[in-house]
Amino acid sequence: MHRVGRVSALIALIAAAVVPVAAHHGTSITYEVNKTITLTGVVSEFVYGYPHPQVYFDVTDESGKVQRWGSEFGPTPLMMRNMNVGWSRTTIKPGDKITITCALHKTPGATACLAREIHINGALVALNGDQAKQVAAVARPQ
Amino acid sequence: MKATALLALACLCTVAAHAQNPPATARRPAGAPANPRDLSGKWLRTTPFQTYSNVKGGANEFQNDIVAGRKPDLNRDTGLKYSEPVFTSAGKAAFDHNIPSYGLRITAPKDGNDPQGNCDPWGVPRMLNGQVAGPHAGWSILQTAGKFIQFSGWHHDYREVWTDGRKLPSLDEAEPRWNGYSVGHWEANTLVIESVGFDDRTWLDHNGYPHSDQMRLTERYRLVDADTLELTMTIVDPEYYAQPFESDVKRFRRDRENEKAFDEQIYCVPSEEQRFNRLIRDAGVGKVEK
Repeated sequence: MHRVGRVSALIALIAAAVVPVAAHHGTSITYEVNKTITLTGVVSEFVYGYPHPQVYFDVTDESGKVQRWGSEFGPTPLMMRNMNVGWSRTTIKPGDKITITCALHKTPGATACLAREIHINGALVALNGDQAKQVAAVARPQ
Repeated sequence: MKATALLALACLCTVAAHAQNPPATARRPAGAPANPRDLSGKWLRTTPFQTYSNVKGGANEFQNDIVAGRKPDLNRDTGLKYSEPVFTSAGKAAFDHNIPSYGLRITAPKDGNDPQGNCDPWGVPRMLNGQVAGPHAGWSILQTAGKFIQFSGWHHDYREVWTDGRKLPSLDEAEPRWNGYSVGHWEANTLVIESVGFDDRTWLDHNGYPHSDQMRLTERYRLVDADTLELTMTIVDPEYYAQPFESDVKRFRRDRENEKAFDEQIYCVPSEEQRFNRLIRDAGVGKVEK
């Protein structure tokens, strides 16, 4: 990516990070914003649709039981703006292994959450400005 | 990298400020408009209330406390001036029936009934509030001979205003429509739009303020300068409000750069929205579906 493109992309990500989640309805009130969980699983579906992109993935626990989870990302327009830094309809594919840290749903026992950080096949893909800096630091030629 | 960091910091500050406060002084005055009766263009709200009026909680100013489970101090100085409508008993009942996902009564969408949750029409005046945060908060105006059209890019809706001199139908004559039936005329350089015939399934705003099908809406648009548009609204709805319900004075800045052109590709798609709600917001992931 050209330098100008990288700067623009970083700005877009930072905008995504600080625009209130009120862009859609009720995101913040749906989740325990201060409680996160980290899950590792295999992707069954990635939906790059309205109003928020979603990833569905299967998590296998120590006993071998498989549980399907879903996680939403930022509002789709903001994610669209982030396309140039790695997000597109094919950023996550069925079969990918993801590790996701996300805010828990307030409904007890729910297997849905709000993504805060995601590694796709071991690589961090930025969801906010700080993560974009991490990704840029790793990608920068030495 | 230093330049990048500075840019990033500047962006962070700018966007954060935009989200919280009206950037009323962020831009230089644009000078007098070449034609004070040409309102065409794309306009983005700069004043803080995302609601129809300046009700408490209408600028999401207490949301962080509420979401975190803290009781908000509703008497703290937010720097905002508030005004609350006077309901009739039927109006209060309608307000209580509406369960929003914003404001002081913010509720998880799965337990609420905002029409937006099914991609149902916002209607007028909700479409005019510029309710979406930050740079999506607006609409476009197209003026033609005899007709004024407003487009909401976010919700992909438009409303028509007849400016060809025709009369407003009576309440009895006007069939309910999502966006009402509107006629406009000029008073000096203020465009005055009067509307009747509204479908009462829409809300005035995303905080759940209601209206009946007896609502009469008057909008007043005035160019403050070439790049600043001012809108004030008045609702007369004796079924739901004991007094005329005034909006705040909303200001919009002209978006000459068409900053968020990509929004034109954003649709509220009912099937996508409903599946998202069912699986994620309603926490149904484990139960469904192939």
